[in-house]
Amino acid sequence: MSSDRVLMKVRDLTVDYMGDFEVLRAVENVSFDIREGEAFGLAGESGCGKSTVAFALARLTRLPGLVTGGAIEFGGEDVLGFTGDRLRAYRWREVSFVFQSAMNALNPVIPASEQIIDAIETHTGKTGDAARKRAAEMFELVGIHPDRLDDYPHQFSGGMRQRICIAIALCLNPKLIIMDEPTTALDVVVQRDIIEQIVALKAELGFSVLFITHDLGLMIEFCDRIGVMYAGEMVEIAPAEAILTAPQHPYTRALGRSFPPLSGPRVRMEGIAGSPPDLSELPVGCRFAPRCGEALPLCRHAAPAMISYPEKRCQAACHLLQ
Amino acid sequence: MRFLMRRLGFYLAAFAVAITLNFFIPRWMPGDPTTRIFLGLRGKLTPQAMDALRASYGYDGNLWDQFMVYLGNLAHLDFGVSTTNFPEPTSSLLFYSAVWTLLLVGLATAISFVIGIGMGIYSAWNRGGFFDSVFTPVNVMLNAFTPAIVALILFYAFSLQWRLFPLGRAHDLGIEPALTFEFIINVLYHATLPVLSIVIVTFGSWHLGMRNTMIGLLNEDFVALAKAKGLSDQRIRYRYVARNAILPQITALALTVGYVLGGALITEYVFNYPGLGKFTLSAIQARDYSFIQAQLLLLTASVLIANLISDILNLILDPRLRSRTQE
Repeated sequence: MSSDRVLMKVRDLTVDYMGDFEVLRAVENVSFDIREGEAFGLAGESGCGKSTVAFALARLTRLPGLVTGGAIEFGGEDVLGFTGDRLRAYRWREVSFVFQSAMNALNPVIPASEQIIDAIETHTGKTGDAARKRAAEMFELVGIHPDRLDDYPHQFSGGMRQRICIAIALCLNPKLIIMDEPTTALDVVVQRDIIEQIVALKAELGFSVLFITHDLGLMIEFCDRIGVMYAGEMVEIAPAEAILTAPQHPYTRALGRSFPPLSGPRVRMEGIAGSPPDLSELPVGCRFAPRCGEALPLCRHAAPAMISYPEKRCQAACHLLQ
Repeated sequence: MRFLMRRLGFYLAAFAVAITLNFFIPRWMPGDPTTRIFLGLRGKLTPQAMDALRASYGYDGNLWDQFMVYLGNLAHLDFGVSTTNFPEPTSSLLFYSAVWTLLLVGLATAISFVIGIGMGIYSAWNRGGFFDSVFTPVNVMLNAFTPAIVALILFYAFSLQWRLFPLGRAHDLGIEPALTFEFIINVLYHATLPVLSIVIVTFGSWHLGMRNTMIGLLNEDFVALAKAKGLSDQRIRYRYVARNAILPQITALALTVGYVLGGALITEYVFNYPGLGKFTLSAIQARDYSFIQAQLLLLTASVLIANLISDILNLILDPRLRSRTQE
């Protein structure tokens, strides 16, 4: 489904968090492309910077966070340079967002209708009945009866609330939807429903998705390509199926090994020994080296660069591959 | 609806308890109205005359019989006759002073709420900015002042030294109380300093309450979503944040309004303002049972009614409560 036309180009993105006494670099020199109609996944342990990247792409980084370097290009325009009306139009008309927690993403004292209609009215000429009609269409699209438009968030189940969030994300036909763990807060059955619905809607409407989840299996199934992040850096970008079948970076390999297969014999899971480094005391050289079983002396003093391996259709940052 | 009925039942029970306590509490104080009159007349009253006086007010006989008479009178909304301002009926005295207190404290509460909430919204939205860094600590300090100090300072400076405002009373004596422009201006002129002294010590708590609730809400996902939707700052600030943050403030306001009829004792005393606080103080000194009873009753009723109004307002404003009560 994905074409080769690049929709969003992220280059050397760097995001810092300003502490009282120090500056933490949560994301450093991250580069990747999202193509038109593509589902791009970001994988990695908690705290590796996935959500920070997602917020930066939507221009939602808030203090103490600050985008301190790099470039984000969307349809040829410099996203980091957007201000005022251009920024407001970029938000939602071009890029929309589905948050992790459907429970808190809707304002509890405002009817659902108003929370979708205000987005429509702000960005399109539609007002009153026309906006309401569009909102009803969106509800129908995600499988909620339009009669329930004026209900309040607490009157819906968790799954329905996340559907409403998806309806709100889709209402302006954006080119890119950022989904930051859209199903993490839901039970597995509802999770399945929602993902199938997103897949169907994506096929119908043709938007691109930046997908973030802890569930590697789900990600491989849903995404076209996956970027693996470790300690604020991108370590590998590869076609989704290659993450399990032909992982290049030792961290990717370790990540794949820590997910149990659904079928086959029961095996003891290995996990990854050690824990991710503290962002204020990053190791010299490759950040994964202290946990890497195959680390060379070189790995401990020189950071590997991201290098493209066209024959394997992937990019990876590891000395072992050279 | 069941929720409201339950609340209503609770309020009625509370009211019954209050009626009973209102009768006994003044009588537990040493002395009674007639001994105070006796003292005031410095021996010009014989003990027999004093007993006759006591009987004519109905403050003789055993307490239980008096209580029954009190309940009977209450049922007819008869609050008795004041001993301090004989032969004025207590109800008309109460009404007179309640009007002035309502004006004074009501106006002060309204102004203080509007200023405080406005400042709270602004300083939460621009957290850490100049306005927030200056006014938040200053308002904490003002809030810690007692009304006595502020009222005395204002009175000394503006009334005594600079003679910009009158020395007391609700209006000039030479002016006929009527709904004329001249009279209203005169009343507002007299109310300015007392209102100001109440506003100065109270608006800070609205500011802080609103600011802190709003800052808590600013980190909510629904605010991030509103921002991501590209809504205007104004809409996010008022519709998505202040709308939610105002709920606890409304409850607090209703409670405050309930106590408006408690009067502003010190302020009224300093500015010699004919409000409930000042009248109640002199009624307590004179052991004027009927006035104390009636004032306590008025206060209880207004606090309970304010609570009920706050319950109803919360039901209207907060949809989550509405459905919880339907279950």
